[in-house]
Amino acid sequence: MPKKKKILLRAYIAFAALFVIAPASNAMHIMEGYLPAGYCVAWGVICLPFLIAGFISLKKKVKENRRNLTLIAMSGAFIFVISSLKIPSVTGSCSHMTGTGLGAILFGPAAVSVLGIIVLIFQAVLLAHGGLTTLGANTFSMAIAGPLVSFGIYKLCRAAKVNRRVGVFLAAFLGDIFTYCVTSIQLALAYPSEAGGVAASAVKFLGVFAPTQLPLAVIEGILTVVIVIGLETYAKPELKSIGFLRDTPGKQPPCLHERIFAGQRTANDSCRELSEVSRDRIGEAKHPLSD
Amino acid sequence: MLLIDKLSYQSKLRYVNASEKLMYAVLTLVLCILSRSVRVAVLVFAVNGILTVGKGGIPLFRYIKLLMIPFAFLIVGTAAIMVNISETPLDAFAITIGKWYITGSRAGVYQGLRLCSTAFAAVSCLYFLSLNTVMTDILGTCRKLHLPPLLIELMLLIYRFIFVLSKTAHAITVSQQSRLGNRNFRTQIRAFGALGSALFVLALKRSNALYDAMESRCYDGSIRVLSREQPASKKEIAGIIMFEVILILIWFCNWPVCG
Repeated sequence: MPKKKKILLRAYIAFAALFVIAPASNAMHIMEGYLPAGYCVAWGVICLPFLIAGFISLKKKVKENRRNLTLIAMSGAFIFVISSLKIPSVTGSCSHMTGTGLGAILFGPAAVSVLGIIVLIFQAVLLAHGGLTTLGANTFSMAIAGPLVSFGIYKLCRAAKVNRRVGVFLAAFLGDIFTYCVTSIQLALAYPSEAGGVAASAVKFLGVFAPTQLPLAVIEGILTVVIVIGLETYAKPELKSIGFLRDTPGKQPPCLHERIFAGQRTANDSCRELSEVSRDRIGEAKHPLSD
Repeated sequence: MLLIDKLSYQSKLRYVNASEKLMYAVLTLVLCILSRSVRVAVLVFAVNGILTVGKGGIPLFRYIKLLMIPFAFLIVGTAAIMVNISETPLDAFAITIGKWYITGSRAGVYQGLRLCSTAFAAVSCLYFLSLNTVMTDILGTCRKLHLPPLLIELMLLIYRFIFVLSKTAHAITVSQQSRLGNRNFRTQIRAFGALGSALFVLALKRSNALYDAMESRCYDGSIRVLSREQPASKKEIAGIIMFEVILILIWFCNWPVCG
């Protein structure tokens, strides 16, 4: 029927035009006020045991060494900044990383649960991504479920002796996909479809968010691998100090300051040498990475 | 850099007692979500607009632009709620595709519209809080609510470090762009990876240096700052309570429409 096709075409164009107007397709934060009150409370309660476990583990780490406090805080800020940076995208729209996969791989799921909720609060208040009432649901999908899957897959790949880079890619990619699935299910539980109930609704939400989320997950996976490659090249000692890399089991790797006192090479030294080389070449101009 | 943060320092309502603002925003937010009534939502949206733009002096253009941020999610999510795909058409609209219908019911459309209004009202509550209250004041109020001190300390530090790190990230991005680091997709990916790893190394280095600096100034696990205390005025508290009571009245009694 040509008339109905016309209507369909118009609706399609209108729908596409909305994506042009809409300023950003960010990660899957459920917006403020979008969930009924009961679900807000329920998701918050579900998050509580994970958060308490994470909080106790952080407390232990800080008690062990006070220096860990600034390290943990820096990690939190790192996750926030990484997830607020624009990433290259295929479609041309501006999108962001979730940073949860990277965080889970680097810092472990326990720390990321607490850091995640803090980052989500800041994203809600400072960037208006997500909200205060939907904090529980968002925390569950982005700071608990996603990182747990990422971490599990990463460990599984390590145990199965899969190439580290493949493992990192799979962890970040599947963590992202899982976050997106959990969010869709959260929305579907709150708004079951009139024709077909929760399952049909979940399929609808999955379908509607797929065009933005699937490419995003692939790009997030690639970026996480590229970042980890960069870290392995430039920051091996730092990675050892947070327990990411381990080549001598049983022996604690020295911290950055201990290495500096012992006169070992650090990333700082590489920077300094680089800057000296560049200073020789271009007069007094400073290397951008040197302090 | 962070627009909302910058605007909150310029707000004329910045020096109003932070606990009051937090109480107002949270109570109104909760009432919006609980009632899910369009009337409550419209009133809340209007009042928050007047408070933020009129009293707070946030530029209207900026405010509207900020309200558009959650727009993409709202459109996509609400479309998914309103539109169904089934074999039987529903009462509001139906478009045939082969054996199936893209269809929606009146109740579904109404629910979607109600959801949109509630969501916008809720977002305006959030903006009232974040555009008129400085983050450190919010954290001060959290401290009064006896949240775990370690958590608040972490939040304070993270809030500070966000600016330090994003400044670094910005500098690196500029230098990458000036060296044609974002020429095509491949270089963009490479540049982002380099940025991420450099940022991580710098963050770790900074955190060590910062700890040394704080330790040398007798840091013992909490940063103590004298906050400027703004006493809560009884008039404002009375106003807030009255507003919430009016909202509850509108919600329960359908006041003022049917008598």
